[in-house]
Amino acid sequence: MSKLNRKAKGQIVIHFILIMLVITLAFPVFFAIVTSTLSLQESYQYPPKLLPGDQFMNNLREAWGRINMGRLFFNSTFISIVVAVVKTILALLAAFAYTHFKFRGQGLLFSICMITQMLPLPVRIIPTYQLMAGFNWINSYYALMVPFFASTTGLILFRQFYLTVPRDLPDAARVDGASPMRYFMQILVPISKTNIAALFVIEFIFMWSQYLWPLIVTTTQEMRVIQIGIKMLLASEQIAPEWNVIMAATVIAMLPPLIVLIAFRKSFVQGIAMQTAK
Amino acid sequence: MNEDRFPGHKILPYLLIAPSLIVIFVFLIIPFAQSVYESFYMSSPFGTHSIFIGLRNYLRLFASQDYRSSVITTFKFSAFVIIVGLSVSLGIAQLLNQKIKGVGFYQLALIWTYAISPTVAGVIWASMFAPATGLISYVVSKISGYSLNWMTNGNLALLIVAAAATWKMLGYNIIFFLAGLQNVPDEFLEAAQIDGAGSWKAFWKITFPLLSPTTSFLLFVNMLYAFFQVFGLIDIMTKGGPGNATELLVYKLYRDGFIHLNTGSASAQSFIIFFVISIVAIFQLRIATRKSVYSR
Amino acid sequence: MNFKKSYFIVLLLTVFLLCSTGNVMAEPVEVTFWHAMSGSRLGVLESIIDGFNEANPDYKVVPLFTGSYAETLTKYIAAYPSGTGPNIVQVYEVGTQTMIDSGAITPVYEIPGMLGETWDWAQYVIPITNYYSVNGNLWSMPFNSSTAMLYYNKDLFKEAGLDPNKPPTTWKEMEEIGDKFLASGVIDHVYSTGWPDWIFEQALSIHNHLYSDNDNGRSGLSTEVVFNDDFGQMIFETWTRLHDKGIYIFGGSEYAPNTAFNSGQIAMLIQSTSSLAGIISAADFEVGTSFYPRFDGYPVGNSVIGGGSLWVTKGQNEEELRGVWEFFKYLSREDIAIQWHKGTGYFPVSLGALKTLLDEGWFSQDQAYLTAFLQILSGRRDTAAATGVRLGPFVAMREDFVSSLEKSLAGQLSPEDALNEAAEKMNQKLEDYLELYGQ
Repeated sequence: MSKLNRKAKGQIVIHFILIMLVITLAFPVFFAIVTSTLSLQESYQYPPKLLPGDQFMNNLREAWGRINMGRLFFNSTFISIVVAVVKTILALLAAFAYTHFKFRGQGLLFSICMITQMLPLPVRIIPTYQLMAGFNWINSYYALMVPFFASTTGLILFRQFYLTVPRDLPDAARVDGASPMRYFMQILVPISKTNIAALFVIEFIFMWSQYLWPLIVTTTQEMRVIQIGIKMLLASEQIAPEWNVIMAATVIAMLPPLIVLIAFRKSFVQGIAMQTAK
Repeated sequence: MNEDRFPGHKILPYLLIAPSLIVIFVFLIIPFAQSVYESFYMSSPFGTHSIFIGLRNYLRLFASQDYRSSVITTFKFSAFVIIVGLSVSLGIAQLLNQKIKGVGFYQLALIWTYAISPTVAGVIWASMFAPATGLISYVVSKISGYSLNWMTNGNLALLIVAAAATWKMLGYNIIFFLAGLQNVPDEFLEAAQIDGAGSWKAFWKITFPLLSPTTSFLLFVNMLYAFFQVFGLIDIMTKGGPGNATELLVYKLYRDGFIHLNTGSASAQSFIIFFVISIVAIFQLRIATRKSVYSR
Repeated sequence: MNFKKSYFIVLLLTVFLLCSTGNVMAEPVEVTFWHAMSGSRLGVLESIIDGFNEANPDYKVVPLFTGSYAETLTKYIAAYPSGTGPNIVQVYEVGTQTMIDSGAITPVYEIPGMLGETWDWAQYVIPITNYYSVNGNLWSMPFNSSTAMLYYNKDLFKEAGLDPNKPPTTWKEMEEIGDKFLASGVIDHVYSTGWPDWIFEQALSIHNHLYSDNDNGRSGLSTEVVFNDDFGQMIFETWTRLHDKGIYIFGGSEYAPNTAFNSGQIAMLIQSTSSLAGIISAADFEVGTSFYPRFDGYPVGNSVIGGGSLWVTKGQNEEELRGVWEFFKYLSREDIAIQWHKGTGYFPVSLGALKTLLDEGWFSQDQAYLTAFLQILSGRRDTAAATGVRLGPFVAMREDFVSSLEKSLAGQLSPEDALNEAAEKMNQKLEDYLELYGQ
């Protein structure tokens, strides 16, 4: 067998395996989409149907009405965008400070920021919750967003990147008489675009997926998020779960993070690649 | 570069880091310190009574069979998510790293699970594995006659939630492994090939060691994920049941703190989890800085 | 001329001012009410509240669905220190002791006096008010009370060759009928229950057996549970035996026994009376109801009240308190109590309402609704054992109980060991509670 032939065969095998993987990985979501298009009886049929029906809009309307989905959707979108943006800004500023300046306590303060990686919410959930109650922020956007404003991921990402910036860049700016903030806004930030996009994807997805915190910190329907809305669709003692309706809501809830990931995919992958390369 | 590029600006750096630090202190560090403090007390639900009990909360936890069982459950769960998740993703990333047409498409088609929230993953898998009526349960019972009922089989329940959690995380792992693999210089592998080493050996002797920063990073992130972010998944799928077969530490913490209103014990549990995570973090840091000696 | 003009303008302005402040003063006093009523109950509750608001324009009750009972209580506790909580909160019955010890509420029996009114407390159904009373005084307003009874599928009974009008009345009969069902092959399992911990409490109180000392926590905080004796053991053994035979199915905390019953997978269900309306509408077979099964030859007590009650936050101003009290009076009205009962299946708390329902023949229309009533009205009401138990760390203790029951059912522990294990864990929690409250 010629080398070319063997290579071609190898390629086909790889393609085949990859396609099988893609299908297997996607199957649960495919199932969810199909279920969201079925009527209640169809969703409980034996054997379970694998072909889409036509009930999607009905199911969606039902889910929408039951949990006030429009509002929940807005809440999730709003807090995800705001938190992602604020986190990015704060991380950009902080990374700039740690890499372009020398100041007292720098090392210690940076280490403190790093330590917070080990303080995910559940580790401090009750006092943080009491703090929200103390500020009278329970059931408000403040409670949903502000505790998330600090990001170690962002700090690491930008700091790593800024360390690779050749020192001619800020030096030239300084010589030109530019203030540090001017340099930051006009030079540093623009070249950070890829990393900014990558961080946005990460933080948006992270915020969109929040469940435990919104669960305990919101008391009324208007302030809940879409993840909790889905849980509310499931909860029922009397009747079996109406999967068709639940899946309709789930499918819609899946979309925004997917859209964000797909839209910024290039930057996202590049940003991470930059991270991993030393 | 890590030097003073703008000498003379003494205050500016502090102003720049101030917002982050304020958030960190007010919302992370102080609550954490408070949590540690509260772990030494026994308090009434309404906070009207509070007694100092020293280490009793901790001792009770270590002596409690339920807590030990939760530790083991969390360990099993995390081990599955990490071992299965990382191996499978590494394999997939390796495949993606081959020079084939349509890499871009495959890449997207395999990383998108990262965008699925744990809650959504939980809902879908709960539906697929619903006893008797779920798709997978139905297929399995038709093929083998075995009835998959996670409500009466704790090990099965744990397996299913672990599989759901792993599935969701595959996308994330693949991206990082792919990036790490692409950083392995071709020359090394070509040299190995010339030396007559098979691709399997080349992988273990060259690629894998060079991947260790990525691997240890992913290990840490997956651990954080398995410990904390899967709460929604558990709450949707099993609520810790059957019995406490899927009661992860984070779920037990929530139940003790918010349902049983036992803030002292919940705070102690928080601290223990923090302690475990810190150990792993320090460990991971060691590996990351040590192994970097081997990279170029 | 100028003087007159400016005088007139000032007069006009003053009139305007008075009118607008008059408007402000006419704004209704808001009474916030946090509750855990979901599903169809929410609709009934909201229509009752709308009715109240219409009839009482001076007040406005604003309901807020704050999640499950546990979530509602947690949120109430969080809101309490900052005074941002509601005027009224609905708490599940297991939270009664917690609320009594909270220091955050005004006991309901004090309210009429605070407002210069009087109220006839005897108008309520006694077993219900007993549950929420301390030393004979009512601390919270009974609102949604239920108890446990036996539901059964008459069609399945016929199918298995059993008399659909003779449901089991004792545990012995449960076993016999269970055996017959399994032999007929009509179904795989015969019965299931709601939360097993609650069902166990029912089994004790139905036989006038104490759950914990100090009169079930009513004459003082309990120091230990007392159900791990021969009687309790017999209950555990019976249930374990029924489980081993396949008659009793316990699917864990996530199992939905109602769904199984409604879809005809099991023939009998021991569950809250508040499930009645839902079951009747969801089931496509003839639903029968009967009393909670007894152990023959043992004393008679009563079935326990479950559900929730309404608590009034301390420190409200007189206007708000009056609004709260007017709302409570409205809920006590016969027609409203009847509306609540018919829409949800919960007991009407007023005796007057009960009598009206009997008179209008409501119960003869559908026997099922009568069973629940007869059960609590025909039982004892004078002993602590029949009144139900009140414990501080009740929620956590119930979980200890269920986990031990599961071990017994799974064969991991003998019924006796399982019971004792539960008792040990539960007693430790009681000791902690006592220590915390300085006793």
